[in-house]
Amino acid sequence: MLARPLPPSLRLAILRGLMLLIAVTFVARLWHIQFVQGQGLQARADENRFRLVEVRGQRGVMYDRNGELLMRNRPSFDIVVIPSNLPDDEDEAYAILQELDKIIVASESNLPLHLEDTQPVTATVAAGAGVGQQGRPQFRERLSVDEAIIKVNNALKGGAYRPIVFAGRVTSETAFAVAEKSYLLPGVELSITPVREYLTGALTSQLLGFMGPIPEIYKDDYVAEGYRAEDQVGLAGLELTFEKALRGVDGRRNIEVDVNGREVRTVGDIFPSAPGNNLVLTIDARLQALMEDALKKGLDAAKTEIGVAIAMNPKTGEVLGLVSLPTYNNNLFARGITADEYQALIDDKRLPLLNHAISALYPPGSVFKIVAASGALQEGIIDENTRLGDSFDGRVDGIVYVDNRFFPDDARYAQPFYCWIHTYGTGHYRINVREALAVSCDVFFYQIAGGYRKTFEGLGIDKLIEYTRIFGFGEPTGIDLPGENPGLVPSPRWKRLIYAETWSAGDTYNMSIGQGALLTTPMQVLNATVAIANGGTLYRPQLVRQVVDTAGDVVEEFSPEAIRPLPVDSAYVSVVREGMWSAVNSANGTAKNLTVPGVVVAGKTGTAEFYDPEIPLLKNNRLPTHAWFTAFAPYDDPEIALVVFVFNGGEGSATALPVAQDILRGYFDLKNARNAPLAPAAAVTSTLAITSTNTLPGLEALITTTVPLSDTSGGGN
Amino acid sequence: MRLNFRRFDFVLLVATLMLMVYGVAMVYSATLGVSGYEEYAARQVIYALIGLGLMLLIAAFDYRLLTSFQWIFYAVIVAALGAVTVIGQVRGGAAGWFDAGIVFIQPAELSKILFAVVFAQYLASRHDELNKPQWVLGALGLILLPVGLVYMQPDLGNAIVLLVIGAVMLFVADLPWGYIVGAVLASALALPLIYANLQGYMKQRIDIFLNPASDPDASFNIAQALISIGNGGLLGQGFTQGSQSQLHFLRVRYADFIFSVIAEELGFLGAVVLIVLLLVVLWRLITIADQARDLFGRLLVAGVIALVMFQMVVSIGMNLGVLPVTGITLPFISYGGSSLLTLMIGIGLAESVAMRNRKIEFD
Repeated sequence: MLARPLPPSLRLAILRGLMLLIAVTFVARLWHIQFVQGQGLQARADENRFRLVEVRGQRGVMYDRNGELLMRNRPSFDIVVIPSNLPDDEDEAYAILQELDKIIVASESNLPLHLEDTQPVTATVAAGAGVGQQGRPQFRERLSVDEAIIKVNNALKGGAYRPIVFAGRVTSETAFAVAEKSYLLPGVELSITPVREYLTGALTSQLLGFMGPIPEIYKDDYVAEGYRAEDQVGLAGLELTFEKALRGVDGRRNIEVDVNGREVRTVGDIFPSAPGNNLVLTIDARLQALMEDALKKGLDAAKTEIGVAIAMNPKTGEVLGLVSLPTYNNNLFARGITADEYQALIDDKRLPLLNHAISALYPPGSVFKIVAASGALQEGIIDENTRLGDSFDGRVDGIVYVDNRFFPDDARYAQPFYCWIHTYGTGHYRINVREALAVSCDVFFYQIAGGYRKTFEGLGIDKLIEYTRIFGFGEPTGIDLPGENPGLVPSPRWKRLIYAETWSAGDTYNMSIGQGALLTTPMQVLNATVAIANGGTLYRPQLVRQVVDTAGDVVEEFSPEAIRPLPVDSAYVSVVREGMWSAVNSANGTAKNLTVPGVVVAGKTGTAEFYDPEIPLLKNNRLPTHAWFTAFAPYDDPEIALVVFVFNGGEGSATALPVAQDILRGYFDLKNARNAPLAPAAAVTSTLAITSTNTLPGLEALITTTVPLSDTSGGGN
Repeated sequence: MRLNFRRFDFVLLVATLMLMVYGVAMVYSATLGVSGYEEYAARQVIYALIGLGLMLLIAAFDYRLLTSFQWIFYAVIVAALGAVTVIGQVRGGAAGWFDAGIVFIQPAELSKILFAVVFAQYLASRHDELNKPQWVLGALGLILLPVGLVYMQPDLGNAIVLLVIGAVMLFVADLPWGYIVGAVLASALALPLIYANLQGYMKQRIDIFLNPASDPDASFNIAQALISIGNGGLLGQGFTQGSQSQLHFLRVRYADFIFSVIAEELGFLGAVVLIVLLLVVLWRLITIADQARDLFGRLLVAGVIALVMFQMVVSIGMNLGVLPVTGITLPFISYGGSSLLTLMIGIGLAESVAMRNRKIEFD
């Protein structure tokens, strides 16, 4: 077959032209997109890939005076719901939350349900508990699905991007279980927050405190200082007092992300984050442990549960150890406390959240006698040889009488005051101030403070109050812990206002031996003792030696802070010191049973009567007593001063003294083992430089929120 | 019959080869580091080699032999498309695949080239009856049966491709202008009707194209394509360096949106080189058609031209945001065995036509 010659096609020529036209159009369009709109689109590409993320600055940690690490930061997991990322359809959203709930309960069936927002945490309990600020701790709990849906719906009216915590402080197993199923759970995210792990736990809870969400009433203040509303802050203890120093500075970092928001690489630090500073405390963790053991032993022996032991360096005011029992474990708060656990702590009558050393008030009893003695000597009421006692009426029976103010000459109306030794059927006869301190003669102190009939003019209530206050009673000691109670120094004016009664000579008698309405904290008692021990300086108790940065360089060094030098002649202070020496070292001293091998100790016992409607009276309707003991050692050049307090512990010499003996023996054993005074500062910093790297890997990279890079909304089509 | 490669169109071959190499490189970049896609570039190389062999083989055969198989081919098309609609595996939203062992074969792809053969023979053999209505109606029927089957899969993209192949072939077959104007008017009137009968996802795509704000999620892909292209600039971000593609902001990078990957990573220059290479292929195909020995050959090549040109226009147009999103791939570049093999068979047929063109030879 021979085909006709086929002529060139017009239609193909048209097609060729059309093709060229389209190609030119495309190139023009390409030009337009790449060069006219190019900059805007490039900005959008950058917006796609770059995120500015906040990087948590690590919170500083604390070391004891020997450089032993007391806490660590570790990640904790919350499961949060982002309302805006849930499906719009409420049934679908509900189904997702139900699925989430199922996964959580399957992994962690003991995670309690969230209770109503109003926990019965009264302000007084919270404040008294040393929490210091009214606020809820971080609870370990989960929402019910219904409650979560209500919260989600509320959030959708505003703030739909803010995460709602569905399950707070879940275990890592639960977190991983949820993460594994994340493809089923749109809108559900894992939020990782660094939390504390307190290595010494309950041993140091009262000192270190704990952290939690910013209390609602302080939210604005914290936010004004650059915190985010959802940040965790110190709520108690040193975590609260040193919040500013410990807090890390959050930084911002530019990262590149893929379409799913996963970080591909870091592009650059906009502001680098900075870790918080570390604290080197004055306490010695080993001494602290030893003190706790000793006090526990003492409490067991006395069949009581509340007690305090504090040790201080009398030359500086540095607190070497502070134990308040019963206590709590601050790791409960760090890992997220359940509502039941929290309720149990609050309901506990023994107030385990309370730092009894600084927040609870007790009559000091005879340990207060050093104040009356100092005042009387300084005011010239007595000299070191003045002998007073119970024989002015011809009887040595440990009883003196205070005349009735309306019938001063009628002995029938006179009120008897007893010395403790009265129960043994005798008295101390006439003794001087050293002996009176050694044997703790009540009559002697009644007389120097309140006088005796017309025979002897005493210090008088106004002067007694003046010296009481000089020794730091009735005011906070200024220790670096929140929730300190100033105590109560009664006065005639006070009595008139509160009881509408006139101050009597008997009230002065009672106060002279640390009874009556006088109320003190164990810390105040120790502070007064320290002022005698060191020859006359009242120090502010300190818990922090140094603030150091992560490189181990000292940022702030705390030097001893004298509250005041006592306006008591050093010769008189020496007399009182000698009295405390005699209490331990003379044959009839109340603390003669105390022995610390190779060390001369001075001390003072105290047995303070108290009335508590819940505690039954003793035999013969006598009031129950708290046991006190104060001490310092070595006598010539004291380096440790102590107070031991045992609530309802009976005799100070029987109950508190053995605890103090254990502590002192332990302290000197520790010291001899090291053969050097406690922890020179240089050694501490070198340890720190090594341990400061002791942080969890990658924790500083934990990212909790992202913010848009910048407002580059121009360009595009 | 003695093989004569003297008239073999080497320019066409070289341009095709360059396009395939370009495609393999871009598929490599688009699937780099994505788990599950590690083998895509390698597979594309194999498809390209098979396609090359197939092309040379087909070029060696005289295309005129195909005229004998016209109705067999048509029966095969209809049977295959019908079967796949009924029993084909559901993949990618459309039931368009046969599972032939490892490779999935898309009958819709191959049917395009077979249809061109069938239709070319139909038009060539009735060329003298060009203006008779029953002839035109017959042609329409021949087109609409396979188009309908593909549409029912549902695969709007390939249905339109088939329709366009038929239309271009009719156009090149010198269908009188009266019919053409009439057909254009008729389709314009029928458009609302067609739109009303479109399947859900097809309507949605057109809606999004007409009004991108109607669905932010669905218009995400289009917006990301534009951002990618804009991000390219003159020379691009560099091969495998495009942030939009490598960080996966761009979806279906290895197929539908591969043009955006090119524009981002190789810039304006890379995209223009691509367009020029495609233009060279089309230019040569039109020349071959123009110089064909017979009308069957010319129309057959016209079908191939329609295939390449339409896919190129729609795919690039979609990436440039001037046409709605369809599943149509960029010829020679996008990942996909069926598509590439179909194209290479088309090129093979064109070469076969070229080798037997109407130039007088003096041996």
